[in-house]
Amino acid sequence: MNFHINTFAIMSLFVFLFVGTTNAQVDPEIQLGARGVVSFNTDILNQQTTTAVNDFSDTGLLLGFRQKLYNKFRGQLVIGFQFPDAESDLGQLFFHQTFIKIENQTNILKLGRSRVRSALIEFPTLRDDDALEFTDVLNPFSSGENTEDHQYGNVLEYAHIFKQRWWIRLHGEHFTQTPVPPARSETDFSLNAIGASFQYRVPETQRWNQPFLQQIGIGLNNFILDQPGAAFVDRLLKNITASLVLNLKPDPIHFVDFRAQGILNYGLSRIQRITDFATMTRARSIAVFSSVRYLWRQYERPTLQIAVSAGYKYFPNLTQPSNQYQVVGNVLYRLGDNFDAIVQIQYKQFSGDLLSVYDRNETRIQFGFVYSIDQSWNNQFDDRDSLLNLEHGYIP
Amino acid sequence: MKRREFLKSTTLMSAAMLFPNYLLSAEARERNAQRFPPSLPHTVDGDVKVFHLQIDIIQHEVVPGFKFHTLAFNRQIPGPEIRVHQGDKVRVIFKNNTELNHTIHWHGLHVPWRMDGVPYVTQLPVMPGQEFVYEFVAEPYGTHFYHCHWGTLLHMQSGMYGSFIVENDQDPIREKFPYEREYTLIYSAHDSNFIRNELNAMLERMKERIILMKSGRFDKKRFAVFNSKEEFERAVEGGYLPPYVISRRSRADLPQPNWFTVNGKSYPMTPNIYIKSGELIRVRLINAGQLEHYLHLHGHDFWLVADDGLPIPQPWQMNTMRLSPGKTADIIIEGKNRGIWTFHDHDTSRVTNNGLYPGGNLLALVYEDLPPEETELNMMARKMGLTNLPNVALDE
Repeated sequence: MNFHINTFAIMSLFVFLFVGTTNAQVDPEIQLGARGVVSFNTDILNQQTTTAVNDFSDTGLLLGFRQKLYNKFRGQLVIGFQFPDAESDLGQLFFHQTFIKIENQTNILKLGRSRVRSALIEFPTLRDDDALEFTDVLNPFSSGENTEDHQYGNVLEYAHIFKQRWWIRLHGEHFTQTPVPPARSETDFSLNAIGASFQYRVPETQRWNQPFLQQIGIGLNNFILDQPGAAFVDRLLKNITASLVLNLKPDPIHFVDFRAQGILNYGLSRIQRITDFATMTRARSIAVFSSVRYLWRQYERPTLQIAVSAGYKYFPNLTQPSNQYQVVGNVLYRLGDNFDAIVQIQYKQFSGDLLSVYDRNETRIQFGFVYSIDQSWNNQFDDRDSLLNLEHGYIP
Repeated sequence: MKRREFLKSTTLMSAAMLFPNYLLSAEARERNAQRFPPSLPHTVDGDVKVFHLQIDIIQHEVVPGFKFHTLAFNRQIPGPEIRVHQGDKVRVIFKNNTELNHTIHWHGLHVPWRMDGVPYVTQLPVMPGQEFVYEFVAEPYGTHFYHCHWGTLLHMQSGMYGSFIVENDQDPIREKFPYEREYTLIYSAHDSNFIRNELNAMLERMKERIILMKSGRFDKKRFAVFNSKEEFERAVEGGYLPPYVISRRSRADLPQPNWFTVNGKSYPMTPNIYIKSGELIRVRLINAGQLEHYLHLHGHDFWLVADDGLPIPQPWQMNTMRLSPGKTADIIIEGKNRGIWTFHDHDTSRVTNNGLYPGGNLLALVYEDLPPEETELNMMARKMGLTNLPNVALDE
């Protein structure tokens, strides 16, 4: 402990002395992102009903600081925390984002705690972990207690962008290991996963330029399992992800889009039974998830959104046929700027070996409100994907 | 360094060495001449002078090292100067090359009301890709200007302005003050962050609107236009939220200008005014911005000879004048105090660049007949490496 304190003190002094060589600074751009999600839940598990009056999991705050660097680069620090799920063992507060990013027009380097690249696209569900078993590559080091284990980790990521729309990403992560005490695992920065992805994606600002195809991508995630004596290649748990986003009706008033993602987990051939969460994440599986979303934008603002999503996952190598499916439907109605009321109903069903991990079926009915803001001060420069930068020349 | 750049730099260095004061060199004067709006060439159709103006989005460099995206008539800020004789028939063919709406208002000119360029009052906006022909007789004599009247707060500070000079062979001012040379100085103030945010938001919105326009789905409420005040009131009573209640564009903050320009440039790139001992020069001052300027000339009094283009029967002298938004003023300076004299905004917050002094509305009245010995440097200046009086001093 003393060693840490002394190291910190020396580092602080070093930083102070370095900073002290200048006596002026440009105010950083300050960004604030906040999302409050509160819902009243009714769960029916195997025909037994339970209720949660006040579920505010996934509510979180993000603080960002951005600045122009010399030589056309930009630097950013982001710190964020959120309230974890009620059943998790992460405590009251979970720091899901703490990273530094350095970028220019075509290169991005990201280091720190952040969203891992376990999914290529997002789906229109109330909370981003509502269909996690379908939408994300699951963390094989997790005990299954915390959904955050699959979504956040310590990341080292490099992205290169070709011609504004083609993204190639190389990433390495340390996924949280549980039930190893989180405090120990969360500060472990050794890599236990590596991956890459390649995507074509239309910037959000140009969605009206390229009306039909919005995104298509493929990704590879390799988890490096702890198997003493095994060759490196044999220690890899490989997952391939493919995704697609289409604007079925690219109309500014009545907008309809379609999203789909598939995840092929090659799994470990020796796993033929699922007995717990770890064996489930390491067994061969194929998952697909898709959604259709209708958005009514009355006066150039979202007014009403109706979305239906469905997923199917099966495990082909198990001795007992096992599969799961899920259907999610929700309606969002905008009550005011950034403030929405939502109703969501979802149904999940599991069979075979999955019953050792989940109940046979689960129905969840939720009523709630979502308030999300994204504000910034001291603006100094434009975003990479602004229309001015995309269509009228990039200004660093 | 490329050969051309090398030649250019050696030419400049030679000029600096040949002339004890670089400011007086032919090279410097030639470059300075480029800092005044060039006259827009015209063709003749019968007895009509025909001019062409177009509008584009460009990257404008206010000072070396700082660029922002702006609107620009004929790809320059300010737009080219239109110079005609009183009574000339004028036709201006205006082409909108942007994805935004525009008009041109002829500020101070007595044009037919349908040519006045006020959207939804005298004409519909000139929409993306459209052309509009303005026709009028050049009246009255004097210094006037033109500017966009659509989204005026944004479009004017984004660079959509230019001088419009109506000459008269029996110029009463020239008769009273026989001058040979004249200069046009157009003042403006720009909030580069406001411009960036608003331009992006307007471009994004227009992409949607263009889709609606193409499909013939005009909707008065969507475009926020109404036949009458009563119709608007009824709409609000019926639940319609006007844009000032629910912003459809970007943050509803008023601009806080951080760049102050003369002819589109901030110090040290502002133009200088050249004069000779005994010479009278006419300076046409135009305030195309949103702020008042208090223009002060060192070492001289000048005559205010025209106000809003109208000759003042009995000109009076002053050394500081208020130039309100939308005003034009003509002044006569008599060369009777040889030297290099500062001419600047005495609201010194406008003599800044992005908050740092000096910058902004700062320029010089330079006597061409200044003897070199009067510009000699002291030993310390020479030790600093200066070869002549510095034309650029940025850390005062």
